[in-house]
This record gives sequence, C-alpha cells and structure tokens, in this order.
Amino acid sequence: MKKVSVEEHTKVVEDLVKEFGEENVYNTKVPRAYRAFAHVNREKLLDVVKYLKEEHGFIHVTTISGVDMGENYEVVYHLRSEGFSFSLKVPVPKDDPKVPSIVDILNGAVLYEREVNDLLGVFPEGHPDPKRLILAYDWPEGVHPLRKEWDIQTIREKVDGKKWGKDVE
Amino acid sequence: MSEREFVIPVGPQHPALKEPESFLFTVDGEVVVDVEPRIGYNHRGIEKAMESRNYIQNLYITERVCGICSNAHQTAYTGAVEEVGGIEIPERAKYIRVFMQELERIHSHLLWLGVAAHEIGFDTMFYYVWRDREVVMDLLEEVSGNRCNYAMATVGGVRRELPKNKYPKWHKMLDKLAERTNYYIKVASTEKTILERAVGVGYLGKEDMIRLSGCGPNARSSGVPCDIRKISPYLIYDEIPFEHVYVDNGDVLGQVLVRVLETLESVKICKWVLDNIPDGEIAVKFNPMQRLPEGEAVYLVEAQRGELIHYTISDGRNMPYRHKIRAPTLGNIPSLVKRLKGGYIADIPITLAGIDPCFSCTDRMAFYDEGKDKTWTWTEGELSKYRKGWYSR
Amino acid sequence: MSILTWARTHSPWLIHFNAGACNACDIEVVAALTPRFDVERFGALLKGSPRHADVMVVSGSVPRKIRDRLKRIYEQMPEPKFVVAVGSCAISGGVFQDCYNVMEGVDKIIPVNAYIPGCPPKPEAILDGVVKLLMSAGY
Repeated sequence: MKKVSVEEHTKVVEDLVKEFGEENVYNTKVPRAYRAFAHVNREKLLDVVKYLKEEHGFIHVTTISGVDMGENYEVVYHLRSEGFSFSLKVPVPKDDPKVPSIVDILNGAVLYEREVNDLLGVFPEGHPDPKRLILAYDWPEGVHPLRKEWDIQTIREKVDGKKWGKDVE
Repeated sequence: MSEREFVIPVGPQHPALKEPESFLFTVDGEVVVDVEPRIGYNHRGIEKAMESRNYIQNLYITERVCGICSNAHQTAYTGAVEEVGGIEIPERAKYIRVFMQELERIHSHLLWLGVAAHEIGFDTMFYYVWRDREVVMDLLEEVSGNRCNYAMATVGGVRRELPKNKYPKWHKMLDKLAERTNYYIKVASTEKTILERAVGVGYLGKEDMIRLSGCGPNARSSGVPCDIRKISPYLIYDEIPFEHVYVDNGDVLGQVLVRVLETLESVKICKWVLDNIPDGEIAVKFNPMQRLPEGEAVYLVEAQRGELIHYTISDGRNMPYRHKIRAPTLGNIPSLVKRLKGGYIADIPITLAGIDPCFSCTDRMAFYDEGKDKTWTWTEGELSKYRKGWYSR
Repeated sequence: MSILTWARTHSPWLIHFNAGACNACDIEVVAALTPRFDVERFGALLKGSPRHADVMVVSGSVPRKIRDRLKRIYEQMPEPKFVVAVGSCAISGGVFQDCYNVMEGVDKIIPVNAYIPGCPPKPEAILDGVVKLLMSAGY
C-alpha cells in the first residue's frame, strides 16, 4: 500500500480551482493527507462533481450533510476517491432552499438527498423520487428538525400539541 | 400493470436483530420486479440531541447509536473531536483502541454468521456459532466490564488499562476463536446445503456496486477493494500486517467468505497488538468544560458493516455546533435494492440478511402483485416456511 | 393450581419486539436462546406471531413511527398477557431523554408488568426478570 503525501492531494485541489476559477471554488483547505474541504458555488455544482468524477476518480459518495449556518444553509457533499475524502460545501440561501440533484452523476446519492430534504428542508431538484424518508408519515409539513429555529420543546409542542418531558407536567 | 397494493405487516419476528424496517415489493408471480425501501422506524433524533450536550456527554449517545457497532462509533467520534481540537493521544491508547475495535469486529461477524445460517434454515450452525461467540463475549467482558457498550474510548485516549498478567489467557482464547473460525470456513465452502442456498443468490457485479456507492463487506464480496483500514489508514493500521480481504463471487456465498476470512484477520491483529503494545500513558487530560477551537473534521472508520463517517463542526464552545453521522447500512441500501430485483420471493430473507443490515431484518414487507390482484399478509414464520418449501421442491 | 395455570407457568411463550432500540438489548434476548443460557430448558420459546405468545418482551425507546405498531401488536396478543420492558430505554427513555422523536418509556403506550434495568441487561438478568414476573403473577 503506497503512502500518499499531502502534496499530491493539494495538487488535486489546485487543479480544481484552476479549472473553475476562484469565484466558483474558494476557501480551500487541505489540513492533512486524505482530507480536503472547499466551498463551491451552487450553479457550478453539477459541473464540479462531473469533473471530479471523470478526471480524478471521485466515484464514491460517502454522504451528504445539511448544516444550518445561521445566515444560510450549507449542503456538504463528501466524495471519496481511493481513501482521499473531499468535502464540497455548497451555500444555499434561506429564502430559496434548493440544490440541483447529483443523482444522475453519482447514483449512490439517492437516499442522502432525501434525508437532507427531510431534516433540513433543502429540496433536490431533479431527484427522481423526493419522498419523505425518515420522519413519520403524520409529521407536519415545514417542521425541519435540524434548523436552528426549532429547539426540542418547540418541535414537541408543534407535533404533539403539548409540551412533554421530565421537566414539564 | 394492475394497481392494487397490499401492505401486509410481516410481524416483528426474527430470533435475532429485529430492527424495524419496511420494504414495498412489486412481484410478478414468484419474481421480484421492484423494491422500495421505507426506513425511519428507528429515528431517535440523535444529531439534534448532540447539539445540546457537551463532548463528554455525547460519548454516551454515540455509543448507543448501534449496540453492535458501538465501539466503531466511539472510535470515529473521538477521532473527529480530537482532530478538531488538535489533541494527540498516546501510542498505547491507539493500540488499545485497535484491540477493542477488532474484538468487536469478531463478535459482530460471528453474530452475523449465526443469523445467516438461521435464514438459510441451518439452525444447528446458528447454535454452534453463537456458542463459540460466547468466547469473545467473555473476553470483552474481562477487558471492559460489559458485553455490549464498552465505554472504553474517551476524548484524549482510553479509560481502562489492559493488565499484562492477563495476556497469556487472552492469547489462548483468541487461538480457540481462530480454530473454530477455520472450522466454519471449511463448513461454509464445502457443505452442500449451504452452497445450494447461497451460490448465485442476490448477485451484484463489480461495476454496479461501484456505481451505487456500496461499502464494507457488502462491496468487498463483489470484488471492490474498499477497506478503509487499508486505503485511508487511521490509528495504527498502517503498521499492522494483515490481508485486504475481497472476493469476486458477488453473491451470498461471497458475503459469507469475506466475513469469515475477516474474522481470522481480526484474530491475527488482536494477537499482534498484545505482542507489540508499548508501555506508557493511556489518556491525555480532557474535561467536559473544555472548549475546542473553531474548525471541522471528517473521520472515516471501517466499522463492521462498512464505511462509517463522522463529520463534526465546532464553533468554539464545549458543545458541537453540528455533528453528522452516517451509518454504513444507509450506504448499502441502493445496492441491496439492486440485488433483490430479479430474485425469487423465497430468497428475500437471506439476501436481506446478507448485507448485514444494522436496522436489521424487516418488520414489514408489502407485496404488490402485478398479475393476481391479491393481498395477503405473511408473518415471518410463514415466509420462512414458504422459503423452506420452495427449496425442497 | 389448575392445569391451565400449571401449563402457563411452566412454558411461557415469548415474543420479542424491538421498538426502536439500538440492538444491544435484542442480541442479549436472543443470546438467552443459545446453548450457554438455554432458556428452552425452562419451557420458554421465542415465538414469531403475537397470537401465540404469553409474554411480550419490549426493548427500545419508542420513536414516533413505531407507536401504532407497538399498540397493534399488544392488542393482537390473547389474554392473559404480560409485558416486560427490557433495558433503560424502554423504562424511561435511557440516554435518549430529551430527543424530539422519542417517547420516554414504553409504559406511556401500553401497560407494563415488569421492568428489567441495564444497558444492556445480561441474559441471566432477563431470564430472572421473566421468572420473577411469573412467580408474582399469582401462580
């Protein structure tokens, strides 16, 4: 098993920035070998994923996380190529919570996008079947638990109609 | 296509793991045409809860995400938090973490072997394997005090020592495990009853597996070399000599072979650790009120069922801002769906059990028959009887 | 003791239901079947259908999607029936108290006759709990 150095992985990230420009791929970080982070513009997401898959072998999607950063949402795509894990962070404005779906390029992402839709409320456009995945069937629309404005007692009140728990009657 | 759906609760009944999960099958006679997975019966809201507890309290929650992979989750969680905080753990702690992880891998694979034998109908092997599994459960109890949920790892190292005077006894127990596993390899590859129910069942080729992002022994049984311990090493795995196990079969027999061979490799790793562990401290001080610097980290671990990822974001407090966990079985569902299509109804239990699902065997199966317009409900007992009858024709 | 009572005490048929548990309690319940602990020598069998069972063994902190299923399975069992809550999660929510999807305790959904604490309880503890339940149920 060959040892891979930080320089090799830094070269991959620099090549990506050269191809798409600093306005589309920015805030890049390579903290150690096998790990990299970068912000990617939402409009260029599909092209970036396709480029990484075809030129650098990122054929495996590990997962897709949704984060509520306060002023906007971020959808983080964790792609992997032979041990090198590259996380692409896509900022999404709160008044337009949508991202293009990468299911056609990487088929394995089909369940992860449904999960982000359920828990954070960011809709994957172009997904073949964007149904509810994890939350209960009678869960009300619009209550997305991972959003910071919903804390636990508020969610319980909204869904069950009352507060409950060990501190409450 | 006639459009009558009938949801038939196949009741929660499986002698081993019954994690509730539901699939909607579209069948045409005996052949499965389409599958739709429905999950979420086990959703407890852990990621949201972790945002309001400090890093030490979160250790106890991550342990209980899954009772069988509990040490894998702890390894990944502590690894991610230590990376964000820039905390270096002592060498001895790394060796102890690897030891616990490999012991847990042995316990999980033996558990799976018994369950798979039961699904095939081979109950004798189920009882034999679970009796031998008690050896590794005793070992785990001696090391950590509990049979599941060991609480060995903590942020900064491990909690308990491995006392040196016990090593000879543990070597003997590991040798016994190796001997029994060799026996099961022989049985699995030569016993005609197993081969008939496992060869060719639930086949998935290498390209499909890569395309659907499968991971773990599920992917390695179709020839994809994806063991995280080898391709992206963490802790001390780059120093330990062990084989990268993968086979080309692609069917249930491949799953059996990969897991049993991995058990042997794990026994080897455990013995190597006991022989080479250095002396020293076991933990660095970390207290629950300690704040971590801002930052983020991704940590990949080869859990028993596949690739496990923990992604943590810290904003400078003593609680995580966001912690994301993706269990390996979620990554294996698309390839599971592909395996089931084109197979027979009677092969469903073993194909499902074959990927070693952590929200395990189905609670509900819905049969949607295209041709017959019939609704029927089956309990798992009836499904097993059906499967046995099918194979003895 | 009537013959029915004698028969029921000496061969309790169990059904196990996982109501959103992490699986640790479940593998301990199943380990009770295995040759080391061997519950079958006491006449107890782990059955598949709720309609054949006397005692339901529940583990797990009940998430929202499971609540109806749990109630339905309980109602399908014939009288006399008993419910045993295994593990801290089934008793009070365990580590998962204060999570938005979790009901804190099985006894908020169905009546429970015996509680077995532990995380997870050992198979011997589970058997002990079931035996104590039968002794105290007036038989």
